[in-house]
Amino acid sequence: MAELVHFMERPARSPGQKAGALHPLAKAAMQQTGEMVPQKKGHGSQRFLQGGLSAPITVTWEITAACNIACIHCLSSSGRRRPRELKREQALALVDELADMQVFQIHFGGGEPFIYPGIWQVLERCTLRGLVMCISTNGTLITAERARRLKQFDPLYFQVSLDGGAPQTNDSIRGKGVFERALRGLELLAAENHSLTVNSVLTRYSFYELDRLYEIATSFNARLRVTRLRPSGRGQDVWEDLHPTREQYREFTTWLMAHPDVLTADSFFHLNAFGTRLAGLDMCGAATATCCVCPEGEVYPCAFFQAPEFEAGNLHMQSFREIWQSSTVFDYYRKMGAGACSGCGQYDVCHGGCPATKWFVHQKLNIKDPECVL
Amino acid sequence: MSQSPAYYRLIAEVKIRRESFGGILYKYGCADRGSLSFINSPQLIELLIAGQQRHNGDVSAAIESSRYSEISKQKLYSALDDLVKRGYIQVQR
Repeated sequence: MAELVHFMERPARSPGQKAGALHPLAKAAMQQTGEMVPQKKGHGSQRFLQGGLSAPITVTWEITAACNIACIHCLSSSGRRRPRELKREQALALVDELADMQVFQIHFGGGEPFIYPGIWQVLERCTLRGLVMCISTNGTLITAERARRLKQFDPLYFQVSLDGGAPQTNDSIRGKGVFERALRGLELLAAENHSLTVNSVLTRYSFYELDRLYEIATSFNARLRVTRLRPSGRGQDVWEDLHPTREQYREFTTWLMAHPDVLTADSFFHLNAFGTRLAGLDMCGAATATCCVCPEGEVYPCAFFQAPEFEAGNLHMQSFREIWQSSTVFDYYRKMGAGACSGCGQYDVCHGGCPATKWFVHQKLNIKDPECVL
Repeated sequence: MSQSPAYYRLIAEVKIRRESFGGILYKYGCADRGSLSFINSPQLIELLIAGQQRHNGDVSAAIESSRYSEISKQKLYSALDDLVKRGYIQVQR
């Protein structure tokens, strides 16, 4: 499917020219991690992801920064719509490009995706192009009519956020009354038999409510998905107060083993260092298996790594394919070494943890994950 | 190993993508919803793509229409049995 869409600011680029300049701080931080550790043959995810896949498996697309609530840990500091957000035609062209590259899935987030004016057309195009769609929503804008209308899109599933199993825990993070409104959204989606996940960021307070969250998810015929808190966006301001303790993480690992149906989005691989290998990838898939497109066309290694120094390119200036294949940021990112984790006996099972967390806590990458459990 | 006459058919929702190490099989929704497998055999990936594109998902037909040696065929059928277990292929006997 070819559609001519004007990205007016895109300059002509000579063949072989790299997309995206490399910020000196990012370059230095990535170089300080040393040479990439050669992976033993036949072991771990790295042997497949090393150097990056031909295209992402999943693209996280923060389609708008506009949001009707203001979570204190929002990874993208969302709230108001931003001036250069991709227009509908640009968004549709991006869907086509991702489909042409054989990306398997788009994970829509934001902001609140249902505030984006062209969301219905974008979902329609995804359906037409056979892309799997996941919408991460706060659930508060779901109406009975919308839940019905969404049935036309397939395959589509929803992640509705609840950051606590009790109103006070959730609402202290997501805003007053949001717990009840999110439950109503879940109810409306469940009534239409949508495929559902309750998505919950693990904090030192929600940790005590994991069983309750599991019950809530089950009551809507949904699966529970627990993800790791990252110190990105507004999360930087609350990370010290909210991130789980080491002992909580140890108990959480045991809890996960007892609840194998709980999803984790591969976000807790740093806990493999406890000695229990969790399901999924054992390393960060940023820039190799996934990446993030932000509202104004910025492309980052992942949704949690929206640091200006690590912007790999911008869709107002380059095509997505060009950024994925030839961004200097991605090139360096894919070659990062083990840094301070070099020689650690657990490196093969956690690969040093989350680079975004390292960066936002210490502005370095050649260090252990700030939540390293060893 | 389950030699023919078993009949192997790719599930319609399965997507296949070539990669430098072989390829990826994906069935609805990545790790969160469904299955994703890295396959480090370019030969198997090419067979699956041939089955999907030229034989309407019929992988057995793709094998039989190609010039594989008997040993290669046996290895491929064995690999297909593994993909049956992982939910990418249906088998009918």
